[in-house]
Order: sequence, then structure tokens, then C-alpha cells
Amino acid sequence: MSLRSQLLKGILEGCILAIMNKRPIYGYELSIVLKEFGLTNISEGSIYPILLRLQKEELISGKMKKSEAGPKRKYYQLTAKGKEALAEFNQQWELIKHPVDRILNSGGNK
Amino acid sequence: MNANELISINNKKRNQLNEDNLAFYEDMLVYMRTASNKSEQQTEEILLELLEHLIEAQSEGKTAANIFGPDPKAYCKELINELSKEKRKYNLLFATRIIIQVAAIFSIIDGVISSALYYLFNKGENTITLHLGSSLISFMGFLLLLYIFIKLIFWWLKRSTFVGKRTKKGVEFLQVWIGSTIFILLFLAIVYLIPEFGPEIQIPTLASIGIGLTLYIVSYLLKKKERQI
Repeated sequence: MSLRSQLLKGILEGCILAIMNKRPIYGYELSIVLKEFGLTNISEGSIYPILLRLQKEELISGKMKKSEAGPKRKYYQLTAKGKEALAEFNQQWELIKHPVDRILNSGGNK
Repeated sequence: MNANELISINNKKRNQLNEDNLAFYEDMLVYMRTASNKSEQQTEEILLELLEHLIEAQSEGKTAANIFGPDPKAYCKELINELSKEKRKYNLLFATRIIIQVAAIFSIIDGVISSALYYLFNKGENTITLHLGSSLISFMGFLLLLYIFIKLIFWWLKRSTFVGKRTKKGVEFLQVWIGSTIFILLFLAIVYLIPEFGPEIQIPTLASIGIGLTLYIVSYLLKKKERQI
């Protein structure tokens, strides 16, 4: 896998954790929320490998529940471990966000 | 929900897909199900989730390619990568169950045929003679053959995914027919070509049916236990 998509995945992971921190959510709904925030060039399916990994790492847990529309769906929510991971992601993102923005905006000139 | 329940829901819900999306999804389904040694439970859970996503997206006019990207094979590999391996305990239980089940089927078939010949047509004897050495070798040979045959079927199914054009139904049928014929011939070769050796034991034909049924019940109980793992 290319470095670029690795980077994108890490960021997407953080975003997914943040959304799930607000409320339990199921796959399709999650892809819509990401789009509404403007992440439109990511294919909807790309969330599923991430959801599997987050479950394997026990950062999120899935549960079958009845949805508002009727049918049962798998709703995901953060675990205690997931909340810690989200806090860590926030912290790292804060550290990196401004320097990266500055470097990119300056075109690399000091 | 266990894997079998997930599979039956999947079978029903797949009908809601249109022709193109169904073809796209079924390729993914076969590819993921034939991935070796991944947790069946997790595989079926994610497959159903993908299906539900696709159904919802379809109702908004999106296609499977929009959702899963232009390279579904790579996408499936990515998913498979994230699935856990099947538990060792499950594999062991599964293998034991299959062996007992095969033994059960052999005992029942042998018992029923011999009993019918003897009691209905007065042919043969009312006991089955087993040569322990050769019977054991035949039995193991059959299991090995079965294992190879299943692997070949998986390979054959997988080969047919993501190729764009479908093999003609007639050709597929011929391939399955030839494969099955070879399998049966090899099995008969094992049974008839291995010379009889080892200590002899006599089992009444009716007892053979009884033993077979008992083994079948054991295998059934093991199957129930598998689901609890």
C-alpha cells in the first residue's frame, strides 16, 4: 500500500473514532456523515477495512440493533480503549496540524 | 447471530440487488468465502454489512463500483487482511466432526446395503467383514481425497471471480461433471485396489447401521458445540 493511502487511513481512523464518540452509528450512516463533512473523494467502501481493524484492536464494538427505519443494523460505538485512542489522536493531530499547514503554505521557504 | 443465520439472511437480501450489482457483489462474496482459514463468523458479518450498504446505496442510484472502488479484488484482499484467523479449537472440532460424519455415513450405507441384500434378497451374509489395516488406509485415503477435492472446488470457484466474462453454463457443468467423475473413480480405486490386510473383525449388518447412527448423533452434537465457540 502506498504511503499516501496509509496516511489517509490513519486520519480517516481518527475521524471515525471522533464521530462514534458522539453516538453509535452504522456503516452506511457513517459514510454519509463523512461525506457531509466534505470527505467526498473517499469511496464509501473504504470505511469497512478500517471498521474491521478498529474492532480487532478493540477500539470500537459492534452490536446488532433495530434501526429507526426498521431492519436490524450493526451499530458501532467506542470502547474505553477507543476513547483513549481518540484522545491520543487529537493530541498528535494538534501537534502536527499547524506545522504542516505552515510548511505547505510557505511552499517550503523558511 | 451465528454464521448460518447470517448466510440465510444474506441469501434473502441479495434478491434486492439489480443484475449488475448482484454480479459485482457475488464475485466479492465467493472470493471472501473461499479465503482460507478466516473466521467464518466475521466473514459473514462483514459480507452482510457490505450487502446492506449496497442495497441502501442502490436505492439512491449508486453502483457497486462507486462504493467498493474500481478494483474489487484488491478491496476484498484488504478486508480479508483485517479478519481474524479461525480459532484453532474450532478447526480441530470441525475436522473431528467431519471425520466422524464420514465414518457414520460409511457405516450406515454399508449396513443398509448389506442388510437389504441379506434380509430382502437372501444374498451375502448378515455380517460385514472389516480388515482393520486396509479399511483404515481406505478411510484415510478417502479423507485425503475429500480434502483435495474441496480445495480444488474452492480454487475453481475463486478462479471464476473478477474475470469480467462468465464461463458458459454448459462448460461449467462439464467441468463439475468431469471433476466429480474423477473423484468417484479415485475413491473406487482406493477401495478396490488396496489389498485386504490386518486383523479381521465381523460386525452384524444391523449393528453397523446402529454404530453409524450413533456416530451421526455424535457429529451432530459436535456441530452444535462448534457454533458456541
